[in-house]
Amino acid sequence: MTRHTFIIALALAAAACKRPPQPGDPLPGLTAAQRAQFDSGRAVFDSTFTAPVGLGPLFNASGCGECHEDPVVGGVGDEIERHAALFHPERAGFVCDQLAAEGGPVFQDSVTAALHTALGIDREALPPGVTTVAARTTPDIFGFGLLDAVPDSTILSYADPDDKNGDGIMGRPNRFVDGRIGRFGRKAFVPTLREFNAGAFQVEVGITNPSVPEEGTVTGRPLPAGTDPAPDPELNAHSLELADAFVRFLAPPTPLKQSREARHGRDVFTQVGCAGCHVPALRTGDNPVAALSHKEVAAYTDLLLHDMGEGLADICFGLATPTEFRTEPLMGLRLSTHFLHDGRAATPEQAIDFHGGEATRSRDLFRTLPAADRAALLLFLKTL
Amino acid sequence: MRRIALLGVALFTAPLVAATAQHRTAAPKPPPPPAPAPAVPHDSVRGAIRAIDVRARTVEVTAGVGYALRVVPLQVPAGVSITNREGSQPETIALGQLKLGDVVRVQFGGKAAPFLAYSIERLGRMTTGMDSTP
Repeated sequence: MTRHTFIIALALAAAACKRPPQPGDPLPGLTAAQRAQFDSGRAVFDSTFTAPVGLGPLFNASGCGECHEDPVVGGVGDEIERHAALFHPERAGFVCDQLAAEGGPVFQDSVTAALHTALGIDREALPPGVTTVAARTTPDIFGFGLLDAVPDSTILSYADPDDKNGDGIMGRPNRFVDGRIGRFGRKAFVPTLREFNAGAFQVEVGITNPSVPEEGTVTGRPLPAGTDPAPDPELNAHSLELADAFVRFLAPPTPLKQSREARHGRDVFTQVGCAGCHVPALRTGDNPVAALSHKEVAAYTDLLLHDMGEGLADICFGLATPTEFRTEPLMGLRLSTHFLHDGRAATPEQAIDFHGGEATRSRDLFRTLPAADRAALLLFLKTL
Repeated sequence: MRRIALLGVALFTAPLVAATAQHRTAAPKPPPPPAPAPAVPHDSVRGAIRAIDVRARTVEVTAGVGYALRVVPLQVPAGVSITNREGSQPETIALGQLKLGDVVRVQFGGKAAPFLAYSIERLGRMTTGMDSTP
């Protein structure tokens, strides 16, 4: 190797070391042990489960990676699933029945052959009386470990339920059924990433685990005998821990380098009020994982519920009314192929157009922007 | 040697005599109030009250992990301890004072629904929140 080649090789190696995380990469700064957990966890996350090892009997996918797949494991998916709940505004204190006694809130679209033979069904039926079904797309989960590490106090600091500052934007936290502040899911119902992951194994794949050791019901009815032969829990504590580590340690997509026009778009984004809910950066608190501790994440969310208007309304969830949704994190937006919670928007511009409720003013300002400013804002969004 | 043997017999029988005497003195006391007999398996749940029927003495609690939610139907026999822990001092409350959306911790048992509540602690309200981890 000549001296010249050696210098080039050294420069390439240095560049590789400094390469910002790409989708699917781990967070920078993990220890060797954490990196090993991440790598092993990816294998669990990307496993394909079959009925003999516990898949189903009701399920939406045969593994996490079946949906979270694009452009890499942990990314978005084109599957759309069904959630249902009944809103009872007259029942003060507990206005949302998430149909937990009837198999809800997630109603699975697939069944194993054994369940099909036993009941003659191809998917879980909705309970009688359900009139509103929410469609839910598969988001990417990059950077979710950082969202998990944001202190509750930070989320609460953005809440303004009575609009005391008069900007038309309120924001309030959702709560899990045990009273803790929620942050995960399109309605910000689930408090922690660990719980979201453990619940998702059972709800989405039909895989019981130490945190959720029992199968769900079929629209409230117990599973017929012999349809779930795998002993519970179907995923052991170690594998659950690894899958959780993989999700937790996924790095957020690094925003692309912004052109002058995109930087102008970022300013317009703030000027029209988008940043009132899509808060550009959140900071994590103390965390036992150094790579998650006191880090800034360009999340573009406040993790709060906002009224988005009747046009987007679907189901209630926890304290969230049908019109309330969590501010969708915009990090990784460029990886999405369809937009909003149900995928009804084909472009970010359409998604903005569907905004209502607290976002009406910002939407209207966007519509009246000069074409160059609108284009700049959309260009900025494509860098996230 | 004979004195030692007598002493041994005395030491051996003394606790039995004392126990018999204690049993005799304890006998006239009234029996303790009936409490629900703990049945197996014993479990606990923390969640929000989704339904309550004071007359039938039944409560339904929604709990779970993530989106894996479940409803725990409970029968609440008279005499079960129901405590409000929201204030600085715990206080005993009646079943009728529980409301929809109350966050409760319930100790319960039984093999099939409705399960038998052993104790209920009211921790707060879902609407106003509980910041402590379960």
